[in-house]
Amino acid sequence: MIKYKAILTLFLSLLSVNAAFSAEPAPAVISGLTAVDMPYDVGNAVMLRWAINPSDTPDTVYVVHASSQQAGAWVEADRFSASAKTGDDIELPFWAWDGSAMEHAVKVELNNIFGESAAGSVFRFKVSALEKGLLKAESAPVPATPVGNWFRLDRLNNIVLLIVIVIVFFWAVSHAKRKGLFIRRIAGLDAIDEAIGRATEMGKPIYYVPGIGTMSSISTIASAFILGEVSKKVAQYDSQIKVPHYDPIVMTVCKEIVKQSYMEAGRPDSYREDINFFVSQDQFSYAASVDGMISREKPAACFFMGYFMAESLLLAEVGATSGAIQIAGTDIESQLPFFFTACDYTLIGEELYAAGAYLSKEPMLLSALKVQDFGKLVVMVSVFFGIILVAAGAALHWDSFVNVILNLFKAY
Amino acid sequence: MLKEKLEKFFKIDRRWIFLLLAIVLFAPIMKPIGLPNKTISRDAQNAYTFMDNIPAGSFVLFSLDYDPSTRPELHPQAMAMVRHAFKRDLRVGVVTFIAGSTGLISQIFAKVPGEYNKVNGTDYVIFPYQANYAAVMTQMGSDLYGIYDKDQDGRDARTLPVMKGVKNYKDMALVVDITGTSILDQWVAFVGDKFNVPVVGGVTAISQPGYGPYLQTKQLKGLLGGMKGAAEYESLIKEPGKGTSGIDSLNLAHLLVLILIMTSNIILLIIRYL
Amino acid sequence: MKFIKKQIPLMIVMVVGLLTLASYYVPNKHSVDYIELLSKWENIVMAFAFLLGLISLFYSHYNKISRKTDGWGYSLFVYIGFLGMVVPAMMNGGRQMVDGRLTMLGWSFNYIYNALSATMFAVLAFYIVSTAYRSFRIKSKQAFVLFLAAFVLILGKVPLGQIIWDFLLGWTHATVSEVIEWIMSVPAVAGKRGIMIGISIGAIVTSLKIIFGIERQYMGKD
Repeated sequence: MIKYKAILTLFLSLLSVNAAFSAEPAPAVISGLTAVDMPYDVGNAVMLRWAINPSDTPDTVYVVHASSQQAGAWVEADRFSASAKTGDDIELPFWAWDGSAMEHAVKVELNNIFGESAAGSVFRFKVSALEKGLLKAESAPVPATPVGNWFRLDRLNNIVLLIVIVIVFFWAVSHAKRKGLFIRRIAGLDAIDEAIGRATEMGKPIYYVPGIGTMSSISTIASAFILGEVSKKVAQYDSQIKVPHYDPIVMTVCKEIVKQSYMEAGRPDSYREDINFFVSQDQFSYAASVDGMISREKPAACFFMGYFMAESLLLAEVGATSGAIQIAGTDIESQLPFFFTACDYTLIGEELYAAGAYLSKEPMLLSALKVQDFGKLVVMVSVFFGIILVAAGAALHWDSFVNVILNLFKAY
Repeated sequence: MLKEKLEKFFKIDRRWIFLLLAIVLFAPIMKPIGLPNKTISRDAQNAYTFMDNIPAGSFVLFSLDYDPSTRPELHPQAMAMVRHAFKRDLRVGVVTFIAGSTGLISQIFAKVPGEYNKVNGTDYVIFPYQANYAAVMTQMGSDLYGIYDKDQDGRDARTLPVMKGVKNYKDMALVVDITGTSILDQWVAFVGDKFNVPVVGGVTAISQPGYGPYLQTKQLKGLLGGMKGAAEYESLIKEPGKGTSGIDSLNLAHLLVLILIMTSNIILLIIRYL
Repeated sequence: MKFIKKQIPLMIVMVVGLLTLASYYVPNKHSVDYIELLSKWENIVMAFAFLLGLISLFYSHYNKISRKTDGWGYSLFVYIGFLGMVVPAMMNGGRQMVDGRLTMLGWSFNYIYNALSATMFAVLAFYIVSTAYRSFRIKSKQAFVLFLAAFVLILGKVPLGQIIWDFLLGWTHATVSEVIEWIMSVPAVAGKRGIMIGISIGAIVTSLKIIFGIERQYMGKD
């Protein structure tokens, strides 16, 4: 038995001598390679980690191979220089990632390499280090199975903030009826009465333009709320309102709202089906058509509330020259200047959202405005202290402290 | 007396202003004055430098998403950037998410490739219009042939020489989006950030200021804004075109606006303090 | 009846709203599939709603024609335009080019639709200039600051303006593009961010109001 072993050893050592005399030395071994499922993802990626080798030179290049087979079938997954892709480069906050600059950390996205649905299958990985194109070191293959995760721990800061806002929201709403709430006057909304009164006196229609948004944009939803209040007043004054539409779903919703307002005002007989009408789903066709109507009918008042793009000035300028009182409101900040110059009153972003509550004077809705103020307070306080802390930390070179603060306020 | 006369100026029929602007715009187009295009903005220079440093033979994806309404500003930008890509022997792929731009894309590629002896299918490829951009952008992250299995002329995209070795964003050196819509924001958010592809944009002058934050964070490598951006790029690649010829009109129109604002304010001052 | 018209829709809003919100925090494949499914449904609903829009359009213009209201002649063009685009599109399967030649649809698209929409956008230039003349008045100190910023920006946008700047203010060694860069990246971005933050918070609160059924005007009150 021992004899056989001795022969085998002799044979092996002869082989290795043979290898030593051949053209290349045997590559070293990269040890400590781990491959685990990439946390907080849909299950398409694997995280490879191994320690940085101090003897790496700037010429060293790491190549990551992946395989979906039991043996062989290696596919190159990544290639980078030795100084890149350390644990510090992974974009995850401190509470969800413990990487350091002393290790390499590589995220391998398997769906990019092997196509869709990588979750649940076993993959194998190996890492090799090249120096000037020659193999210097190689790791043993390690297996890993990517799985779909159930919680994005990296978004913890986000969800905590959300929960706080929801709690404040419910607190504000449930305390709504106890006492009155002061709300600053919004001139543009107070002018709505004046505009409708003027239209009644002149016997001319009012145009309510909800813009080119779909029902999924908040400004369009807010616009629909305002339309409800405006059309109620129009019905009370027995004036006329016309609502040209860009989106058919918005039109259908607005029809319901206007009908309801007429009923609440006690004038269901004055309601007509063609108050809301569809014009076109093409931006400039819509603008041209509404411009045409405004310049032909010379309305007493025009409301532009909702989502607007380049057509904002096209509409507002024609309204201005036709002599109408104009009230606009949008959350598209690039269009605000145009409304400021061409309209009598403009609601800026959040004023538009608040308008429904402001006009309806319903305590539940009004109290939700408090939440908006609370949110702004949170932002103001965090910006103020954030700036001071980060500046102080940077001045005193407390890098990890600065990192913690930055992580806390970052969206992942 | 003078005050009343001046007040009349405020109530001037706006059609006079329209006429004045029309003359200022038309005259230089008919008879160019040749005002110099002096400075190059930082963002246009960055866009040029980025494209100029891509190794020859790399694949660049153009997303041309503008329709005829914004053509005067964006078409020259697209022309200039495609010219630059061909000049540098880059492979060019074109996609679009706006139905109205298909005609404009054919106009570019009916003209430009011939100037550089580029062949459809070998040096460039035009993919057909797709509607749902968010879905397409995401799909191209894994396998672009899942959406674009055929080119515009119905040829199998996989076998085209221009597509050799190109499967998803990892195989692209740059994405250029020229648009009058907010699709550029989506390229930055859905593709640039997520798949680590450099994105360069071309937008109308009116929406240019809105991209400041993206440029600050380098999420956009460069940006051409309006006709001026086109003119700048044309002068960088030394191929004067429509953008450069429009600069005269642009110059004079801007000055007209300045003069009008100043006049109205001087009149206001006189009225108030007289 | 109230249950069907009120409670059920509110429940759908709440469940779908909460699930969609949760999908932001759950990276699992199920949540990805759910979002994809929702967007497919949205597309389908959209297509049917478009039909509604078309019916409304035809109905309102039919009314105008039958009542002979002012400008009823324009309403005829709705039908002419519609048929003029749809019939050729049906005839050649929606293609604008066949064998390198423009179809009827391609022709109307290129030479009518293109021209018309380009015109509408171009009209903007005229309106901007006339609005600038009529409304850009320095009536307060703030307006003066705005005027200064606008003046520098307009000047710097065009080469001729840059030449004028260098001629008049060249001694300051600050080029106009540096000044513009500062204006655009400091005060302009600061203002923009302020508005954006306000808008985002408003959007969050409005969404919460809708998800929890506090704001329900969009489905009629009762």
